[in-house]
Amino acid sequence: MNCEVCQLKELEVEHFEIREVLRCILHTIVFHRALGLVRPKDVDLELFEITYVQCGDVELEKKIDERIDHFISWVEKHPNKKSQICLSFYEVKSKQPSWFTNKTERLYWEQWYVNLNVTQHPKHHSSKSHHAKVVVDPGESATEDRSSRRAMVEASLREVLFQIIKFVNEKKDHVPPISDGVIYFPYEITIPSSSDSAFGMDMIKRMLHSGHPTMLS
Amino acid sequence: MEMDRESGKLEQIVSQFRSKILHVVLDSRVPSLHRHQQQDSLSLSRVRKTDKWFNLVLGDRPPALENLNFSLRNLLDPMVIDIILVRHASYSSSVDNLYAPSAAAAGPSTETVIERWVVQYDCPRVFATPSGAEAAVSYKKIYKKCIVLLRSLYTQMRLLPAYRIFRQLSSLNQTYNFDIVYKVSSFSHPFSREEEDGMKEYNFAPVEALPGCLCVSVIYHATLSDFNLEPLVSLPPKIITDYVGSPTTDPMRSFPSSERGAHATSFPFRGLRPPSSAPFQRPHSWSSGFHRGIPPTKTQSLAGSPPVYRTSPKPYDITPPPTDLYGNRIQNHRVSTLQQATAYDEYKLSPPFSPSASPSTPTYLSGANPLLTRHCSETAPVTIPLPPTGRSNRYLSPNSSDPSRHSLPPLSPRSSKHDTSSQESPSGIRSYRKIEALRAGESPSGLSNLYSAPKVVRDSKDDSGRFSGLLSSSGSPRIGFSRSSSRLSFQDDMDDCEFSCPFDVDDVDVSDSSSQNTENKRASEFTAQSNLIGKKSQDAAVGILVHMLRTAPPLRQDSSCYSTRSLRTEYEGGVGIASGFFMPRKTADALEELNSYREMKDLLLSKSGTQVVRKEGMK
Repeated sequence: MNCEVCQLKELEVEHFEIREVLRCILHTIVFHRALGLVRPKDVDLELFEITYVQCGDVELEKKIDERIDHFISWVEKHPNKKSQICLSFYEVKSKQPSWFTNKTERLYWEQWYVNLNVTQHPKHHSSKSHHAKVVVDPGESATEDRSSRRAMVEASLREVLFQIIKFVNEKKDHVPPISDGVIYFPYEITIPSSSDSAFGMDMIKRMLHSGHPTMLS
Repeated sequence: MEMDRESGKLEQIVSQFRSKILHVVLDSRVPSLHRHQQQDSLSLSRVRKTDKWFNLVLGDRPPALENLNFSLRNLLDPMVIDIILVRHASYSSSVDNLYAPSAAAAGPSTETVIERWVVQYDCPRVFATPSGAEAAVSYKKIYKKCIVLLRSLYTQMRLLPAYRIFRQLSSLNQTYNFDIVYKVSSFSHPFSREEEDGMKEYNFAPVEALPGCLCVSVIYHATLSDFNLEPLVSLPPKIITDYVGSPTTDPMRSFPSSERGAHATSFPFRGLRPPSSAPFQRPHSWSSGFHRGIPPTKTQSLAGSPPVYRTSPKPYDITPPPTDLYGNRIQNHRVSTLQQATAYDEYKLSPPFSPSASPSTPTYLSGANPLLTRHCSETAPVTIPLPPTGRSNRYLSPNSSDPSRHSLPPLSPRSSKHDTSSQESPSGIRSYRKIEALRAGESPSGLSNLYSAPKVVRDSKDDSGRFSGLLSSSGSPRIGFSRSSSRLSFQDDMDDCEFSCPFDVDDVDVSDSSSQNTENKRASEFTAQSNLIGKKSQDAAVGILVHMLRTAPPLRQDSSCYSTRSLRTEYEGGVGIASGFFMPRKTADALEELNSYREMKDLLLSKSGTQVVRKEGMK
């Protein structure tokens, strides 16, 4: 089985936008891969005029939020850096245990790379109240810049969502069969770790498990 | 047999797939169908048989859907779902719809197809159906792919422009000049070239469902901003019958406090409604020219009971320290500040809140100043009865643009003479004269004149006490004091005492009108003016004032530098009334000041030898 990889368009976001943007993207992807019985839940973004859909599974929502929190912590330690979050779907296969491998292995059949460029403008601080205070002082030009920037981020986010829809529609053959009682396929969210080398190790580990070279489009 | 069973399965998948798509589309576009589902709370919790199809729980299918499924039972025919925007024509403006709400629906409406969904099972005439295990695997794959397609369709429904207006229509708080309806058919009229302009097409990847394939596509308007979709004003028109000046309005009526829970201890705002849910504030009859530029919301809250400013969370209701407060006020509410200055000039010589002063601005302006608000919140509402008509006529300025407005009385002949020698007179008198001159030329555009008045006052060397403070109200915190009820009542009291206005004099009733002595002039000014002001109903007004002062709750502690002692001292120096920064004071302080003025007056009169009739009520 091939592992389909989708590199999503890079989004330039500010620190306070990370949570909403990641929630929107990750939940949209999972909703398309939650092929069990779901009651869709519409969620309106607060910062943008976009409505995305969640599966309605509480555990899933909790886990995604947890990973987003870890990512935000990482971003705070590594400011002004391009970062990538990887959402992978895998199948669990049992195999013969050996010295170097476990009893089960993960066969990754799909990987989504969410590319973010978290910026921190010199005029704007991370805290919202300070940002609002700064906006008032410079006058209308700062407000206009802010609103135009916000519109750009919204348009980019909308493009990413359409990219997800296009990808899931075009590639369906690699999706494993649906198991009874399972709402969504096993997944894994990988965030950059404290060091780049560790992140690279995660990639190598995944390659070993999947048995296929990671194909980056 | 087996082939029939297999083809039956395929037919079932295709049929249910079409029904599911129809359900998703209508539930996300037609508010009436969406509300129908949401009203049934049970439908949201349980899972129906139809929900299990394609593992997507959508709730009850609307009855219309079942009928549509029946009419489109030929699976080989395409299912075309048109989402139609119906715009109601308004002949003039949306305001007219208030008077004839049904006119929006009754008038000609424009229908535009904003989305067209086409679901089709493309199947060749001649085909070979799979059989056995191969078929089962095939149907599972088909089913899985249909699930994925439905997921992406559900997501895309929320990303297209029509979803926004669907959400607007679904909200129960607002009505709009448009509606969304749908049409389902097995054929579609092609779009004209004009209609195709601005439309985009998106084709979902077809799902192989051998022998054919399921195809879903959508043509939609990329933007709906050209359609002028706007909400309708939902409030019915209100005819306000009780306004200040209305013959039916009880002059002594005090209006209820604001809905925001402010105290009722404020000036009685005659003719004003308390701040309500009404979003608009009509310009008041007394507001000729002075309230322009003030946004309705601010006007409304300004006209509300002053304590609102202390409790309301609105930015302009915040009560920072006085200096900052006034600084802000000056910057943001310059017009309203000037109105206060104007209003005080009117108050000076006329009893505030008198019904004859129907267009008087006090009720409006008193709410405009938060500091005043603070003052007002400390005092009981005070009303001064309507004086006899003859007296009120005295307060009409012949030059006022609004003849029913109160204004300072016309200058006496002596006053006019004194204008030329005003520089020698006490500054307070000078200031008053200048203000009077400005008021003489008052008009709706007299705002600018008034605005310059404080500057004139400040330039005076001998700025005298409270009145000069009043006159410089546009830029100083002194505005506040003028709005305090006790202060105003004291002013009236002073007015009625004949020497209440030390800045002007009317020689009509002054026996020493022939005196050219400066001191005599001053005394006569005091006397004449007071005579002019309170000639006819002084007794009655004074009596009421005294009663009011005695029964009024205490004001705040006065921290101003103004005091009777300084008053006397400066007066003895011949300078005039001491200047001071007016802060709210207790009634006792006001009485004390009154007494000090009385003494001053007596002193002047005794010096000039003029006998003034003192009112017994002032004692």
